[in-house]
Parts: sequence; structure tokens; C-alpha cells
Amino acid sequence: MRLDGQRGVELEAGGQPKQWGNYCGRMVHSFNPLVTTMDNSKQPGERPDQIVPAAKEKNRRSFFAILAGAIAMLGPIGAGICTFLSPLFRQTQSPAVRVGLLSQVPDDGEPHFFSVVTDWQDAWNRYPRQKIGAVYLIRQPGANAPIAFTAKCPHAGCSIGYSAAEGVFKCPCHTSVFNIDGTRAQGDEEVAPRDMDLLDVSLEELAVEGGDPVIEIWVNFVDYQTGRSTKMPTT
Amino acid sequence: MRKLASNLVDWLDSRSGFRGVMREALYEQVPGGARWRYVWGSTLVMAFVTQLITGIFLWMAYSPSTQTAWESVFYIQFDMEGGWLLRGIHHFMAQAMIVLLAIHFVQVVWDGAYRAPRELNFLLGLILMLIVLGLSLTGYLLPWDQKGYWATNVGTELASQTPLAGGAIRKLVVGGNSYGHLTLTRFFALHAGILPGALIAFLAIHLALFRRHGITVKEPKAGPDVTFWPDQVLKDSVAALGVLAAVVGLAVYYHGAELTAPADPANNYAAARPEWYFLFLFQFLKWFPGQMEVWGAFIIPGVVVGVLFLMPWIGRWKVGHVFNVLFLFVLLGGAALLTVQAICDDTMAGTADATFEEYKNKFGKETAEENKQAFAASLDFLKAKRDAQHAAERVIALARSDLGIPPTGALALVYDDPYLQGPLLFKQYCASCHNYVDWKNPDPLLSDLVNPAPTAPNLHGVGSRKWAAALLDPEQVGGPDYLGYPGSPFVGDGDNTEMVEFVQECFGEDLPAAEREKVEAAFQKIAMALSAEAKLPAQAAADADDQRAIAEGRALMEGGLADLVESGSSCTDCHPFGKHPDDGESPVLDGYMSRQWMIDFVRNPEDARFYGDINDRMPAFAPHEDPQLNQLDEKTLGLIVDWLRGDWYRPVRP
Repeated sequence: MRLDGQRGVELEAGGQPKQWGNYCGRMVHSFNPLVTTMDNSKQPGERPDQIVPAAKEKNRRSFFAILAGAIAMLGPIGAGICTFLSPLFRQTQSPAVRVGLLSQVPDDGEPHFFSVVTDWQDAWNRYPRQKIGAVYLIRQPGANAPIAFTAKCPHAGCSIGYSAAEGVFKCPCHTSVFNIDGTRAQGDEEVAPRDMDLLDVSLEELAVEGGDPVIEIWVNFVDYQTGRSTKMPTT
Repeated sequence: MRKLASNLVDWLDSRSGFRGVMREALYEQVPGGARWRYVWGSTLVMAFVTQLITGIFLWMAYSPSTQTAWESVFYIQFDMEGGWLLRGIHHFMAQAMIVLLAIHFVQVVWDGAYRAPRELNFLLGLILMLIVLGLSLTGYLLPWDQKGYWATNVGTELASQTPLAGGAIRKLVVGGNSYGHLTLTRFFALHAGILPGALIAFLAIHLALFRRHGITVKEPKAGPDVTFWPDQVLKDSVAALGVLAAVVGLAVYYHGAELTAPADPANNYAAARPEWYFLFLFQFLKWFPGQMEVWGAFIIPGVVVGVLFLMPWIGRWKVGHVFNVLFLFVLLGGAALLTVQAICDDTMAGTADATFEEYKNKFGKETAEENKQAFAASLDFLKAKRDAQHAAERVIALARSDLGIPPTGALALVYDDPYLQGPLLFKQYCASCHNYVDWKNPDPLLSDLVNPAPTAPNLHGVGSRKWAAALLDPEQVGGPDYLGYPGSPFVGDGDNTEMVEFVQECFGEDLPAAEREKVEAAFQKIAMALSAEAKLPAQAAADADDQRAIAEGRALMEGGLADLVESGSSCTDCHPFGKHPDDGESPVLDGYMSRQWMIDFVRNPEDARFYGDINDRMPAFAPHEDPQLNQLDEKTLGLIVDWLRGDWYRPVRP
């Protein structure tokens, strides 16, 4: 069996091998990537013949080579980046959520924990009635409506717990402590950059046949950016 | 044959020149001879190759979506042959890589190997290090378990504080405002595509430059020069084998890697911590109050990394080199200290069951008082960790049982399980009045449900024979766990003391011993009959065995008791039951504490079947037809009742 490096080499009219498309001859790349030289002799190490285009022609061809190449690459990259950035183009609405009934929040000035349950869209899935967070509702003695704190820590988004024994809110992650009115226990010394986030509360009356009306508590469940001294919605 | 092989090799060489490449690769000069201290770079390459191999095989079974990520990792860990080992190796080799990186880095700085002409290669090394850290950050989330989910969540929240474009960065990384499918697909693309691709590219340049400049050798040389093959390769291979042995050892010891419960966006995991090699950063952040956080999270780490990148230029002077070495040791020492501090902070309470009193006795009052807050935080951490482990065991047991994982994912197993949901729901809806505790044998996992000042009965073991017997015991019926809780209308000067008085009178003090025995035996049977109404799953066998006693108990309840006791009355004088469905206004005893009875009762205790007008403060949780008007929905009610009745799935290993 003859293993010959020359097999398959097409010769052009002048006896020169075609510059592209020959993978059998040894390709030698010079430092100028636009000039590819062929070694069609069998002895390795021998100086190959070079094909150097004329300068003007070279400039024009270089320009179009770069342009065509760039467009060929930028197309797919552009489509990819567009998809990648898609979350930035989407605005989410903060939902108004019914968290419970007024009868569930006695006017004892104590925080009462409620899950926030609403329909939830996650990319291609729609989840009916998902827990998407939690709030603490506090109704002061004699107050008509409660106030609502989101349980999401304004520091790094962990879920704040309430310690009834100590009468304070505590975050389990970086040990932020908040008073029962949502202010930081140590003020600006606290790890959390701002007080607990208050949410807007509204009451809605539902008529019940042959009975007292039922009053629902609705909360505008805004998701605020963490780690900032000011409240800014994430939407 | 031999000739053919040799011809084939010749042909390959003539077409590819591989012999030259091999020669160049293997016969590089190692000045001064092969040394053990040269192995660290090679072990890192080997560790990375291990990650590529195990990673690709993990990829073949992994599915990144919120309903399949945990599930597929569960499948790898528990179902696939050797899956646990594969996962274990990937998990522990990632940690080994961090250790090897640190060694390699210290060695390079110590030897001043960053000096000209190797500056560029040093920078490439730093970039490689950042890529490896990125790989471990992204990999931590992929199992989509509670630990990875909540720890990564803190990380991305911090990313949102990046000056200028924080919000947008977080949104891009997370794939939206909150975690979901796109978070996983993005993290996976980073972890399995972009970062390893970048690592391979940079590693190739790193190695090429390393070959170009050669090993940094200390003068005078320790011995004659040798070639890379075979002496140094042998040492490298032995070291690589050593690393692998350690990693496999850990993987076998831990039987793979931990898998906590499926990520639950609605239930925060309070014990979420980053991997141990990021703990120092976690701890570092505790030092920075609110406004200053950007210093702890960005500016200081940024300056540190900046100094690392400048090391080759700082090290041009002798003093600069000394500075570099000192800087590195202060950095590593500081990180080590912070890591130890983080671990100590979390574990200072010792166990999840520790009390502050014990802590005070151990460390003295003063020290204890000083650390009171820290002790409480540690206790919370340990409790959360234990509870999470417990929950993980339960979900894994359910997933491995006949039940299996439904198409909606393993989180459905968590949400539909009375055993896991019961305590949470009880705490939310019932524990402010009721207690749930077995005083003789308290369950540390349910310590949250102990109400120090209850205003309603203790519901532990409700409906069981023991519970029914206590309710019919003259000593206990008026006690705090049954009808004698603070403020109860059923005892003392209350308006409805008939039940307690009836039971106590049946066992009157001047009752002759023989009579007393008869009454006791009757009450025992009544307790059995009453408890049989509950149809508790745990008691099914006992109920079947004691059918005769139960029938006798029923007969006593339906009137037979009246002949035995002085008051001349029995249960049906007040309660509708059995043959007397229309008698009495006290709660109906047919199906007492059965699932339906309890659900109906919690729905509306003021219903005529139950307490009617004499209901104590028990709220009606779902009295309306329209669910919109109720506090509790059908499912939540069912979960609470099932949990109270001990009615949950007991997994049978297939």
C-alpha cells in the first residue's frame, strides 16, 4: 500500500496546487494568517512556495474577509444574546393577593404569619395557587386594619422569623434583628440596610347570606430589591 | 502484522506529526531532576479531567428544571448503579480542587514564579482560579435542594448589590425576578458549557506558556537534569492517585454527596450556608452593617483580587516579593480564621436540644450572658439543620417508596405529606391555643409546638385509646391537657362542667373497692369503644383484636353504664350515639375523632352536631360553602387532621 502525501492534490493550469481544499499536503501557517503556504514537496522542513497577493488586492480582500466573517459570527451571537437578555425586557407586575380574613388577625399587636398564595408563572409553567412568599400582619389594639411586613429580609432575602419570646423579628442568615414595628434593633449598625418592608394593605367586604359580612385582607405583594437603603421594587 | 502496525503509525505521523508533539510533550527538560514539589499543577489538571469525566456522565442523567433537577439527582444518587459514587467523586473532587489550587498558588508566590517572563502565565492562573470558583458556585445550585437553593439565593441577592448594574446582573443570572426553570438552565449552561469551555481554553494557554518558560528552578540545582518522562510523570501520577484515593475515600465514607429536601421557595432553609471554602466570605459580611455592605461584598474583595493580579509587578523588587508572600499568608490566615469563626458561631450551642441554662453552667454566667444572642442564633441554626435533615430523610423515603415521585416533582410529595406539613400548619393555625406534646416523651423535633400557656386541650394522640382513657379518668379529665385548661368553661365555676363532674362522680371517693373495679373495667371498655370510633390507622390491628370488648363498651355507652354508676346515667344521656342518634346536645360520638368528624368539627365547632351554643373560643375555620370565605381550604384541613390522627403514608421499601 502506497501512502503518498501527494494523493488527491489537484493541480491548476500552471502546475501550482490549489491553495485551499487540499488537506493531504502539509499546511504551514506563517504569522500572517491571511497568507497560507503549501508545502507540496515531500521533504519536511524545506521552504515552501508562497503565494503573496498584490497589496491593493490584499487590502480589499482582507476587508471583505473580515466583514463577511464578522457578519457570519455576529448573526448567531446576536440571536443568542437577545435571548439571553430577555429577562431584562420582561416586567413583572406585583400581584395583589388575598392573604386571609380579618377575623384571623386579632387586634393584639402581635405579628401573625400568613403565606402569600397566588398563581405563579415560571417560564413555561403556570402554577395555580403557589406560595410565593409570606407576610406578617399586625393589628394594633382598636385598629381597623392590620399593617403588613413582608417576611423577606431587606439584607439578602432570607425569610425572617418572629421570636414571640423576645418580641423581635430575627433573620437566620446574617443575624439581623428587627423590632416589632419593623425597625432595625441596632439602627444603622444592623447588618440589614433598611427596616422591614411595609406592604400596602386593603380590606374587602364580602356579603354572606344571612350572616355578618366576611372581611378579606388583601396585600399588594411587592418584591423589593435587597441590600439597599431605599425600597425599590425588583420589577 | 507488526509491520502493518508500524506502517500505520508511520502513516499517522506523516499526516499528523504526532511523534514530534509527543516528543515535545514528554521529553521536556526538568532542570535539577524530578521533584515531588512539582506535582501540584499536574494534580490540578488531573482533578479537572476527573470533573470533566464525572461531569459528563452526570450530565447523561441530569435534567435541569424545577420539577426534574432534584428528582434526577435523587435518581443518580439512589437508583443508578454506582450513581452515588459518581456524584460523590464529582462533589469531593470539586473541594479537592480548591485545596490543590491554594497549594499551587502559595507555591508559585513563595517561589516568586510570577516574575518575568512568567507574569502573563500567573495572570492566566488567577483567571483559572476564578473560573474554578465560578464552577463550584454554579454547581452548588444544580441539585435544586434546600441547601443549594437558599445558599445560592443569598449569593444572587448579593450580586444585585453590584454597583451600577446590580439589578440587571441578578435578573440575567437568575433568568427573571425569582428563581425558576431559567435559573437552572442558565446555571447549568454556565456550569457545564461556558465555564469549562473557558477553563479548557485558558488551561491550554497556561500549559503552553508553562512549557515555553519552563519550571522555575531554585539554584543551585538539586541534581542532574532529567526529562519529564518518565521520572516526573511517575511522581505526578502517584500524586494524582493519592488525590483520587482521598476523594474516593470521602465519597465512599459519605456514600456520595448530601442531598437535602427539594428546594421549596415557600419554606426558607434557615441553615443555608455556602460550601466551606466560601464560608469566610459569608462570615466577612457579618462585619459590615447595612450601608457598608458594598465594602464587604465588592470593594474589599475587589481590591484583594486586584492586588493578586498586580503581584508580578509588585514582586519585581525584593521588598515587593516579601510583601506578596506576607499578603498571601495574611489573606489565607484571615480566611482560615473567618472560616473557623463561622463554624464556631453556628455550632456554639453544641446540640439542637441545648438550653441556655446548660450553656451557662458550662461557660459561666458572664460569658454566657455576653453570648446570649449568639447562642440563640446557633441554636436556631442547629435546629433548622436537624429539621432539614429530618425532612430530607422523609422525602427521600417517600420518593423511594411505592409512592414514587409524581410528574409534578418531589415538592408535591412534601406538600401532600401530613407528616411534614402537619407540624407547620398546626403551628400556624392551632398552636396559639392548643398544645401538642407528649410530656413523658417529648419529641425534640416538635418542640416548636409546645405552648407554655395553652387555652385549649393538648391534642397529642387525639382519639387514641390512651387519649380516650385520660378523658375518662377522674384525675385527668379536669387537668390542663384535657378539659381543665386555663379559662375552660368545663371545670370549676364554668358553665358546662357536667362532663368532668360526671366522670369524677362515677369514681366517687366512698365507692367500695369491688364497685370501683367494676366501674374501672367499664370505663376501660368505653375508652376502647370510643377510640374505635376514630378508626386510627395505627390502632386498626388492636381494634380488630378487641372487637368483643369494643362491642361491650358500645353497649355501656348506649345506656349500660347507667346501671353501674351512682348517677344512673350513661354517655347517651348527653351525647347522640349509636342507638340514640337524637339524644342530647353534647358533641355526637358516632365517628368521634374519625377523619370526617374532625374535619367537620374544625370547619365549624358551633354546628349543632358539636358544641352548638356552648362552644368555647374555638374558631370556625371553614363554615362556608364558598371556599373564598373560609380561613382553611379543604386540603389544609385534611393535612392537619391527618397529621393529628397519625394518618400518613408509612413507606415500604420496594
